[in-house]
Amino acid sequence: MFLKIVMNDVRRKKIISATVLVFITMAVVLGSSATNIIANLMQSIAQLKTHAVPSDLTQMHIGPYDQAAVDRLVATLGEHIAEQETMFLLNIEGSDIHFGANRTMVDTVQDISFVVQNRKFDFILDLDNRKLEIKAGEVAVPIYFMKTYSLNLGDVLRVESRGFRKEFVISDYARDFEMNSALASSKRFVINQADYDEMLAHQVGDMEYLIEFKLHEHGDLRTVRNAYRKAGLPSNGPTIEGKLFSLFNALSDAAVVMVIVLISLLLVVVASLCIRLTFLATIDEDLREIGVMKALGISRKDIRNVYLTKYKIVAAVAGVIGYGLSFLVVRAFNGNMRLYLSSDLSGSLQYVLSLVAPIAIYLIIVLYCRSVLGRIDAISATEALRSDIMQRGKHRKYRFPLLKNRFLGTSTYMGLRDVAIRIKLYRLLFFIFIVCTFIAILPLNVFNTMNSPKFSTYMGIGQCDVRIDLRKTDTITADFERLLAELENDSDIEKHAAYITCSYPAMTADGRWEYIIIETGDFSVFPLQYLEGEAPSDAGEISLSFAQASADGLDKKIGDTVVVQVGGVDKQLKVSGIYQDITNGGKTAKAGSSLGLQHDAILWYMVNLDIAPHADVSAKMAHYQSTYASAQVNGIKEYARQTMGNIIRQMGAIVIGGLAIAIVVMVLITALFLKMLLSKDMSQIAIMRSIGLSTRQIERQYMAGTMVVLLPGIILGVLAADYLGEILVSMAMSSMGAASIRFVGIAWQTWLVYPLLIIVVVGITLSLSCKVAVAEDLSVVLRS
Amino acid sequence: MRTMLEARNIHKKIALGEDNVLHILRDVDLQIGEGEFVSIMGPSGSGKSTLLYTVSGMDRITSGSVVFMDQEISSLKEESLSKLRLDHMGFIFQDINLLKNLSLIDNIMFPALLEKHADKKAVHEKAKKLMEMTGIATLADNSITQASGGQLQRAGICRALINEPAMIFGDEPTGALDSKSAAEIMAILAQINNQGTTVMLVTHDMKVAAKTQRVLYMVDGCIVAQKHLGPYEESSDTLVDREQELMGWLVTNGF
Repeated sequence: MFLKIVMNDVRRKKIISATVLVFITMAVVLGSSATNIIANLMQSIAQLKTHAVPSDLTQMHIGPYDQAAVDRLVATLGEHIAEQETMFLLNIEGSDIHFGANRTMVDTVQDISFVVQNRKFDFILDLDNRKLEIKAGEVAVPIYFMKTYSLNLGDVLRVESRGFRKEFVISDYARDFEMNSALASSKRFVINQADYDEMLAHQVGDMEYLIEFKLHEHGDLRTVRNAYRKAGLPSNGPTIEGKLFSLFNALSDAAVVMVIVLISLLLVVVASLCIRLTFLATIDEDLREIGVMKALGISRKDIRNVYLTKYKIVAAVAGVIGYGLSFLVVRAFNGNMRLYLSSDLSGSLQYVLSLVAPIAIYLIIVLYCRSVLGRIDAISATEALRSDIMQRGKHRKYRFPLLKNRFLGTSTYMGLRDVAIRIKLYRLLFFIFIVCTFIAILPLNVFNTMNSPKFSTYMGIGQCDVRIDLRKTDTITADFERLLAELENDSDIEKHAAYITCSYPAMTADGRWEYIIIETGDFSVFPLQYLEGEAPSDAGEISLSFAQASADGLDKKIGDTVVVQVGGVDKQLKVSGIYQDITNGGKTAKAGSSLGLQHDAILWYMVNLDIAPHADVSAKMAHYQSTYASAQVNGIKEYARQTMGNIIRQMGAIVIGGLAIAIVVMVLITALFLKMLLSKDMSQIAIMRSIGLSTRQIERQYMAGTMVVLLPGIILGVLAADYLGEILVSMAMSSMGAASIRFVGIAWQTWLVYPLLIIVVVGITLSLSCKVAVAEDLSVVLRS
Repeated sequence: MRTMLEARNIHKKIALGEDNVLHILRDVDLQIGEGEFVSIMGPSGSGKSTLLYTVSGMDRITSGSVVFMDQEISSLKEESLSKLRLDHMGFIFQDINLLKNLSLIDNIMFPALLEKHADKKAVHEKAKKLMEMTGIATLADNSITQASGGQLQRAGICRALINEPAMIFGDEPTGALDSKSAAEIMAILAQINNQGTTVMLVTHDMKVAAKTQRVLYMVDGCIVAQKHLGPYEESSDTLVDREQELMGWLVTNGF
């Protein structure tokens, strides 16, 4: 019986019922997709970690190496260390790797090394998360390079170095938990042991060691790290903690995923607004019908059943459709996650988590229905039949009389006053427009910021033209001095500054010694924008990165003292400033040259320089690149672009994706909203037509109403994306070391092109969907 | 007398299903002269209201011709029909059909304000005059929920008159009112008619029809008879005679 009444109801009000169904389906699709994406991210990182078994502590080292000494340490720290393995990296210059039609990898900022798969842990995987097994003559290429150079399986890579020449066929892609990310500055190519031995025998490349430790579940990282330092074991390179790899993985994908999740959460907001909109638009009619049933003497219980059954059926059908559709949406989105983290996202977690949205939406709808039923109990049947619930109980002063209209056409004015009178309904559309504009503009702001030269600020680098990095070789110190001397005498170089980064023991807040990396040099030449305070000016000062100054690092404020050991002597340094840095796990520090060097723990040398306006920048860069074999010469923009390249590329996709989502959602909601409103206002429209309003005049009313909501919606959306977006992104990035992101907005894009695009698209939607039906005889509506 | 409205051979059919066509108007001919006051009577389902809606251009006819003020309207586009309704026709409904978000006076002024260069002050004056004439001047700023059925119907009449139409159509304008209110509404309509406006209305009520000049009687979609009663003077005491005369005629025609 109930079902029959419901079916009749649906048949009678086709448009309203279809719109309600579509709105609720959209809510489910959006909600499910959001939860699904989060589930996928968690699951894929976890899966990748399970298969790759990353190391907990990795010491990079170049130079003489003694495995026996490492083994002795491992023996003494048995309670902490579960496994130890050393990976031997053959570092090959990008210029020595040839592929395609005469191309090399010379332009990459990444260090390239050829390795053999580990035996115990830190495995490099294929795209199915299986441990790579590479045959002789074959190579597995990191995903980063596969994307950067558009390499395919079956392509040939040729290594040509020092008279040695060998060809490798690309047999697989390497998914590398530790070095997937563009933020990790090295990439590992996996080859067969025999090929490796052959290259080693021909002295191809430079040897570097990854001394890796896997700890017991309760092993203490700090203890192992400090014991390693104290034992004076090989440490001619950075020390990397396991969680940094996760962070890199998270950052390179999660920065993107975070934007996706943010978009998803916003879509959930849109979804809930849609549900509310549905109810507000249909509640009058529902109340009237409930009133009729009440007047007919139907029992409360039966009324409740009829009403609830209707919405339960709609919610259930929408839930099932939405749940199914969400998987298609997610598939379109998580391509990057599938590639870098896990291709097999078939686990049950996503299916279970995605169920949260339809169930929650079903419950919300049922609860909402109950509250409507509660309202009907509070008013009498006749009241329900007579008046409009939206205005009920509010005998407000009559607002917006027609004579008050001085400037607008009467139709336009009627549209605007309708917005003011039915503000509850239009307010939801307004919020939806704000959120959609936000979704469209925020990725654009992030993208423009990352692409701007100013972004180097967040990487702890002052603004300069060129950056030269010296790789650790036997001749590094001599090379460095020779380079500085040449720069000094080069008239094409406007200014330059040299920085040396070493690892120093520093006293933590709880009084323990911890190794931190400090860059020394003259920081006044290329000033960095400081979050607080200023660059270290003299011997007694140090500046800390945001993450290093935070409770997770040394826990210091400006003016506090940091105790650092230099050559065995304690030095007291006052914190002069705090800057943002998302490189090296976010924890870095800077001090004047007078601090002195830790000669046995120099990590890298770097020179920043500005080239005089008259000089040819690329020729100059080429000159230094060819003169210094161990140097990596990069334009600063190029350096940022390559390090952040992957994220920027993905952000580029998100910019398009965000805009597409925003526009699709806006178009759908605008069209549905108008269909619903026109259907709801059918009788009022018929009255207007009967007194002589043309359909065009009536359509103008509705279009004016929607436009007046759209325009401020866009303005507020852009403002929110500019200001609230900055706060949100800064919050998200603070864990990575950048606490105060200032968007570099491109005004003509955010204030002109995007809003115009949205206005045009919504305008077209309006003109297409705001159609007053004229086919039917007017009397059908007027007399019904 | 000049012809205000003329319908020739009009048919109105509605498809209810594939083989089920409802023939509501069958070959109806009708002529209404300028300044006439005509009522249409007939049993339920005889097509009275449909005739009213089709000759006023609110509903489309299936075949035939309708000429209003020397203009064939059955082939007019929607836009031109609207304009015609706005400028030359006024409508009064049984359900009153006022716009719910407008006050009474705004409902009345609304059709007049749609003109591009409408003189708002003049429109306001006119609306106030009409409200005074119909006795609802004090309710100008009331919302439609703050007036009785009779008061609302008066506002409906004011709205119908605001653009000084050549003809007023009424679909049982007194159908939902008590007899006192109905009499008052009829007095207003008679007054309008006296001022030269043509009036055509559909009614079930003998008292209402007796006050019109000519009564058409419809059965099964056809006009089967008509009765000329002549002009009615509100001040005269001829109403009872007219009613009896009408009654006798209706009974002869199978009422």
